[in-house]
Amino acid sequence: MNCDQLREHYELYALGIAEQPERGEIREHLSRGCTVCGAGVKRALEIAALLGASAPPAEPSRQLRRRILASVGSEQRRFGFVWASGAIAAALLVAALYFAVSSRRYENDAAQLRDQLRAQGNEILRLSNAFAILSGPSTIEASFGGQQPRPPSGKVFVNPSRGVLLIASNLPRTSPDKIYEMWMIPKSKGAKPVPAGLFQSQANGDALHVRPGAVDVSTTGAVAVTVENEAGATQPTTTPLIVAALTH
Amino acid sequence: MLPLLLAVLASSDDVTLIQRLKRRDPQALAELYDLYGRMAYALILRMVRDKSIAEDLVQEAFLRVWNRVHSIDGEKGSVGPWLLAIARNRAIDYLRSSEGRDRNVAVELDETDHASLYHEMEAGILHSDQVRRVKAAMDKLEPNHRTVMELAYFEGLSQSEMSAKMGQPLGTIKTWVRAALQSLRDELGVVAPSS
Repeated sequence: MNCDQLREHYELYALGIAEQPERGEIREHLSRGCTVCGAGVKRALEIAALLGASAPPAEPSRQLRRRILASVGSEQRRFGFVWASGAIAAALLVAALYFAVSSRRYENDAAQLRDQLRAQGNEILRLSNAFAILSGPSTIEASFGGQQPRPPSGKVFVNPSRGVLLIASNLPRTSPDKIYEMWMIPKSKGAKPVPAGLFQSQANGDALHVRPGAVDVSTTGAVAVTVENEAGATQPTTTPLIVAALTH
Repeated sequence: MLPLLLAVLASSDDVTLIQRLKRRDPQALAELYDLYGRMAYALILRMVRDKSIAEDLVQEAFLRVWNRVHSIDGEKGSVGPWLLAIARNRAIDYLRSSEGRDRNVAVELDETDHASLYHEMEAGILHSDQVRRVKAAMDKLEPNHRTVMELAYFEGLSQSEMSAKMGQPLGTIKTWVRAALQSLRDELGVVAPSS
């Protein structure tokens, strides 16, 4: 088919409802870089996007933004380097300022350094939260996996006002579309587990995960971890591979 | 005023936003969410009609962008329209699986969210006046024409599925779809590219 015969079908293709043989023909034209069909399909995709943007306005919950950011901002790093991180951050700041004013060709480098600085800042905040939980006088701790020769093992620290810290080792590697999710398991039967954040393990199977904020330890029976799809879940969908029972 | 400001912000930021997303900057994802999060949520909610499921699907869509951002051109890519295409396809996939519909019936959804298709689109289009024009054009359609467009776009039905759902011959459905698209083209002043 030539482009003239296909032009009536660009919008159908963009909507995903083009039928054969036109769909295959458009795909074939696009794959060989046909500029006519490329322009036509692009315009049709713009119309499709505009249709999407014309949906009645709606407001998602405030938690959604946090959930999305938590699911990508939980890259784990070795902990215990608070002071080193601060020094690195300061050095990066000086370097970023230098590059920013020196020359246009350094702009990309400076942007990268600023990103690293921001990441270091986030890491320092995370480690500060972990330290606050560890050092809190009312913190209780629970071990898991100690009896097993095989992973995972580690400890959970729970502070009523500061949050939950999970330190684990020997976590099995997850596939790229999976992620670990921590849960607060209520004591009372029938009550649903409460999501407590997503995290990834390091390549060596270690992980440090912090869920800052108050915890009602009197109603919490255990902290658990499951493997979930990359977007996380509102309730566990797999058998927990970590369950740390809280006794207090 | 706000749409104009958002359009300016979106157009100037798309290139740097994509580059920062490629550098795995979580703050860039936050800015992407601030620009397009409500829009993606509104679209998916219109499709699945359940707030909780809509939020899960929005999260999936943003993660998909995060995980696939390497495939979009850092200089020419239009991340907003691409994100909406992914969001719509996530929602259709959910509707199909929850309704037990045939996932292979006619639509190759993933074809329409290839990042390479979203290059050199008009900057800031999703925050432009064209959204209002499309909405007005949809409102002007004859009821049957509007219904088939909504079934196609918001429910992801093929023309055969629309025929079964509306109890109309397939030929009639195709005529309505063609007429609806022609009306939209006319209202938006779209001229098909000449060969």
